Amino acid sequence: MAPMIDCVFLLLIFFMVASQTRVPPRFPVELPDSLTRHAFPMKRFNLYIGREGLMSVDDNMMNGYDDLEIFLAKNKKNIETLIIKADRLALHGYVIDAMERAKRAGIEELAIGVKEGGGTGISVD
Amino acid sequence: MPQLNMTPLIDCVFLLLIFFMVATSFAPIPGIRVKLPPPGLPQSASKPENLVLRISDPEPGTSVGVMVLNDNVISMDRLLSAFQGATLKQKDMLIIQSGRSVYHEQIVTIMDLAKRADIKKIGFAMVARESI
Repeated sequence: MAPMIDCVFLLLIFFMVASQTRVPPRFPVELPDSLTRHAFPMKRFNLYIGREGLMSVDDNMMNGYDDLEIFLAKNKKNIETLIIKADRLALHGYVIDAMERAKRAGIEELAIGVKEGGGTGISVD
Repeated sequence: MPQLNMTPLIDCVFLLLIFFMVATSFAPIPGIRVKLPPPGLPQSASKPENLVLRISDPEPGTSVGVMVLNDNVISMDRLLSAFQGATLKQKDMLIIQSGRSVYHEQIVTIMDLAKRADIKKIGFAMVARESI
């Protein structure tokens, strides 16, 4: 029995260390599709924008752009790439305002999230 | 000498293992990379040789705004060939001047077409506002 238990413990430690659980937003977001796409490692700090203009960073609801800017500025050190996951029917104005606030908060790199499994996987650098 | 019963501990470890195996996702997130310009006042990047795509707010009942590329009305089907047919200098930068009510999906589709046509930079031009 002992080698099997050792093995299971090792697997358990691996999954505990490597796992990054997905935090869904509190409102539905249907991402747009795109043929060109990069792969970004799954990390915390995804900015969700709903079609009515609701915003959340992971599951933290934002009460407006000021709130978003303060939150992003506070967590700037931990954000390598802010992934903006906006609903395909969200207005472009909401996305631009969020990008503007991210820039003001000191974020240097953004990504526009697109539908998983869509496109043809053409990668562009 | 009494022996320690390992069975409940192993049950527990197996349950934890199953939980982490199910909840973990290693799949990367697909997205389009955007590098922001340095902070400061918005720059006026428009030059005569740039590609300028203007998009009107969509009419009620429609999901796509009318697009005008360098003064010519253009449809989404012909946009890729128009981008590909642009000169190398024009491909330096595409400026998207759009209304605030254009849907995000239309912008992502245009960014996708621009990337496929090897356009190096995309700029967003909006009407300046006092505060957002």
